[in-house]
Amino acid sequence: MIDITNMSFGYSKKKLLYKKINLHLEAGHIYGLLGKNGAGKSTLLKNIIGLLFPTEGEIRVNNHTPEKRRPAFLESIYFIPEEVYVPALTVEKYVNLFSPFYPKFNRNDFNRYMEELDVKTENKLTSLSFGQQKKFVIAFALACNTDILLLDEPTNGLDIPSKKRFRKLIASVMNESRTIFISTHQIRDLDHLIDQVIIIDEGDLLLNASINAIGEKLVFRAVDEISDSVHVLYSEESMKGILTVSENIDKEESKVNLEHLFSAVTDNPEKIKTLFHS
Amino acid sequence: MNATFNSRRFALLVKKTLQERQMLFLGLTGLSLLVTLVTYLFAKAMSDIEDAQNMSFIIGLVGGGSFLASQVFGYFNSNAMGASFMTLPASTLEKWLTGILFAGVLYLAIFLSFYRLMDTYFVNDYHQNLNPKLPYYKLMMEQVQIFPYDGFVGIKSFIMFFNFAGAMLLGSLYFNKLSFLKGALVIFCFWFGAFFLNWIIAKSMISQMQNAIPYWLVWVDVNKDQGRIELQENLSKTVTILIGVVVPLILWSLTYFRLKEKEF
Repeated sequence: MIDITNMSFGYSKKKLLYKKINLHLEAGHIYGLLGKNGAGKSTLLKNIIGLLFPTEGEIRVNNHTPEKRRPAFLESIYFIPEEVYVPALTVEKYVNLFSPFYPKFNRNDFNRYMEELDVKTENKLTSLSFGQQKKFVIAFALACNTDILLLDEPTNGLDIPSKKRFRKLIASVMNESRTIFISTHQIRDLDHLIDQVIIIDEGDLLLNASINAIGEKLVFRAVDEISDSVHVLYSEESMKGILTVSENIDKEESKVNLEHLFSAVTDNPEKIKTLFHS
Repeated sequence: MNATFNSRRFALLVKKTLQERQMLFLGLTGLSLLVTLVTYLFAKAMSDIEDAQNMSFIIGLVGGGSFLASQVFGYFNSNAMGASFMTLPASTLEKWLTGILFAGVLYLAIFLSFYRLMDTYFVNDYHQNLNPKLPYYKLMMEQVQIFPYDGFVGIKSFIMFFNFAGAMLLGSLYFNKLSFLKGALVIFCFWFGAFFLNWIIAKSMISQMQNAIPYWLVWVDVNKDQGRIELQENLSKTVTILIGVVVPLILWSLTYFRLKEKEF
C-alpha cells in the first residue's frame, strides 16, 4: 500500500513540481501513471522508492518511510528506471550476485520470464541490445517477487512483439498482494493492462480512478456530428467519424480510450475533478 | 540491528561490488602500481634511490589512493547505475563500509605490500651491485635503506592520503559527473587558500618572514642567514593529531551522512 499525504516536491525550493498532492494506492492493482514529458512522472516514482525526498508532507509505503531506505523496505519494492543498468556480467553471475538481496526471488520464475520475454545469452549482459537489457531487468525484477513494482517508461526501447509479451507477462504475474505502478507517456502501450489510471499535469493530480469508474462517468463515442446538447470534453476527427469523450449522463457502455481520456482530462482538469469527486 | 548492519548482507555486498566493479578496481589499482613503479625507475635514473622512494610513495599512495577513492562511489554519473546502487537492499552503513573497505583498506594493503616488495628488490639490487672497494662503501650502503613507512615522508604521506582520499570520497557523493576533477579542484583551492591565508597572516606578524608553511613552520631572514620558527612541541602534536586523525575522521564520517542523505 502506498500513501502519499500532502506531498510537495521541487528540485528548487522556489519552484515546486508538486504541491500538496494526496494519493492512495492499494495492493492488487496495476496503476498507470500518465503524463506529458516533464510532467514529473519519474520524480513521483523516485519519491516513492526513496531516491528523492518530499519537501513537505509524507510518503508511507507498506508502513515504511522510503527516504530512510531501510533494507526491509528496499527488499519489498523494485524500481526499474527508464534507462536500465546492467554490469559486465553474465546472466548467471548477475543472478548469483543480486538475487540474494531479495528474499522472495524465485529462480524458476526468472527462467520462465526470460523465456517468455525471449532473452537468451551466454555472453555478458553488456553485449545485449538496449531492448534485451531492459527485458532482462524486467524478468529479474518480476522474479524478485517484491510487493511493489515501479516501472518508469518500461516499453521505451522495446519492439512491438516485446511490448506485447511485456503486457502479457505483467498481467500474468499480478496477484492480490502486489502493486504495480507503471509510468508512461506512450499511453497505447498500457491498453488492456492497467485497471487504475492516474493522470498528472503541471504538478497536479488530475485523475485517480479505476477503468470501471471512468467507464461509468465518461463515454467514448464515434459520432458523425457533435450535438449541441452534449458537453464534449474532447473530440478528434478520424476515419470512423468524430471520436468524442463526454460525460456519461445516460449510463452508456463504452470502451475507455486512454489516449482520448488523457486529452480530455488535461484539457478540462477542473471539470474532471468535479466529475470524479462527486 | 538488522536494519543497520547485517554481516551476511555486508559480505554479499562486498562480493557483489568486487565482481561487478572488478575491472574498475583492478584496473585502477594496477594503473596506480604501474605509475608507482615507473616513477620509482624514472626518479632512480634521474636522481637517487631516496628521491625515487619518496616520490613514488607519495604519487602511488596519495595520488593513486585519492583517484581510486573518487571512483568508489562513482555510480552517479549514470541515472540507471545510481538508482541500482541506491535501491539495492542493503543499509547505508553497509554501502558506506564497502566504500571504506575498497578505498581505505584494500587499496592501502595492496599498495603497501607492492611497494615493500618493489622497494626491497631495488634496495637489495643496489646493495649487491655496490663495489666494496669504493672509498665510501659503508656510508653508501647505510645511506640507502628500505623506505620506512614510519619515517617523515611516510607519515606525511599517510596523513595526506587519509585527508585527500576522504575528501575525494566525499566529493564523489557531491559531484555526480567528473567527480575526480571537481574533487581535486576543491582540494587544490582549499590547499592554496590555506597556504595563502597563512602566508598573509604570518607576513603581517613577522616582517622578516621569508616563507610560511601552514600549521608547521615559518622561515625568517635573520641578517644574512635564515631561521625557522616552529610550533611549540605540544601545539605541534595537537595540530598533527588534528590534521592526521580528526580531519580525516570527519571527512570519512561525513561520507556516511552524505550517502544517507543523498538524493538522486
